[in-house]
Amino acid sequence: MNYSDPRLQNLLAGEYVLGLMRGAARRRCERLMMESAALAAEMAAWESRFAAWALRLKPIDPPAYLEWRLLGRVRKDSQPRGERLRNTFWRSWAVAATILLAVIVVTQKFTPTTEPKAAEFALMSDAKGTPLWLISVHPEANRVDMKVVTPNPVPAGKSYELWMIPDGGKPVPMGLMNETGVASETVPPELLARLAGAKALAISLEPKGGSPTGQPTGPVLWVAPLVTS
Amino acid sequence: MAASTPDLQERNRRLADLLHACAQGRQAAFQALYREVSPQLFAVLVRILKRRDLAEEALQDALLSVWRNAGSYSADKGAPMTWLVSICRNRALDMLRREKREVSLDTDREDLDEEGRQVSDGETVMDAVNVSKAEERKLDDCMGRLNDGQQQSLRLAYVDGCTHEEIAARVGSPVGTVKSWVRRGLESLKRCLEAA
Repeated sequence: MNYSDPRLQNLLAGEYVLGLMRGAARRRCERLMMESAALAAEMAAWESRFAAWALRLKPIDPPAYLEWRLLGRVRKDSQPRGERLRNTFWRSWAVAATILLAVIVVTQKFTPTTEPKAAEFALMSDAKGTPLWLISVHPEANRVDMKVVTPNPVPAGKSYELWMIPDGGKPVPMGLMNETGVASETVPPELLARLAGAKALAISLEPKGGSPTGQPTGPVLWVAPLVTS
Repeated sequence: MAASTPDLQERNRRLADLLHACAQGRQAAFQALYREVSPQLFAVLVRILKRRDLAEEALQDALLSVWRNAGSYSADKGAPMTWLVSICRNRALDMLRREKREVSLDTDREDLDEEGRQVSDGETVMDAVNVSKAEERKLDDCMGRLNDGQQQSLRLAYVDGCTHEEIAARVGSPVGTVKSWVRRGLESLKRCLEAA
């Protein structure tokens, strides 16, 4: 058939943009688009026409941890681009975390102890869905437990560090991850209160002993949502 | 979109600036872009994929690819938001296929040449198009001239990511009828939109 026929091009482009071509036909259409500027222009025109429908949908806020996860990926992605680009992002985290720490110290002094909250859990799994750690929050004991489900050896000279991702906020250090058995971290009540409103936990790869800056310096390896039991 | 045209142009310029900064590897620009566009893109993905977890995955993949390919954005790909929506929808459609909702396609594509009348103007097409108020009204107006089946078919395909078969099931018509609604709908819509 003759792909230079404008009428056919219009239909191909329209059906492509509507999403009515799937699989091999979609791929073929994309290849044709690379060869034909007219077809590419026709597709761009349909994308522009129909975009109004997409933009009319009521916006939905994605979960807060998605932003942090994505920024972690972007940062990892940029590492080969050099030191200068690498550092600016985490420096801003570091500043935010310093402020946060100051806030925690102040609130620790002046606010009464918050009432106990229901325990929360996070199951940290790898990309294949293999559970690595079960993390549980015990507010009444000011404690966070980290139980190894599937042992996951730390690379030589490194540590896994746990971070809390507050709703819409910056990461807060929660301690190093254990390699075997169950480990407990003592957590002040104010931090536990923040944890109750947090959306997710994340683990980053850090130099042995944990991040030297008190802020994430290595790639974010795993993220898990916090679930109230 | 309640934005007036100057607001819209201002937004497009700002988004184009952010994409340009992303292309230079500026992560703060990516974060600003994310905060501005993600709720709208997420809504598009949730609507098509029907599942939050898949929509999250799609948003992450799509925006990571935006970061990596921000340099390939240019005005001939449409307004920045149009470009971003098309990247997200493409990702979602790929995922639908992976989720085995696939079927359909072009068993009868060959008959397109023979069918129907010849379109007179072979001209392609609008240049970089901003979805402005006026254009949106025109789209609504032209959609209003299509029959119900044509309107429903186009919307279900674009907004909900439905296949021909799924549209047929939703509206209770044969697949062949849906296919012809889509084609007639696209042709009439284009003719109407391009009429002076």
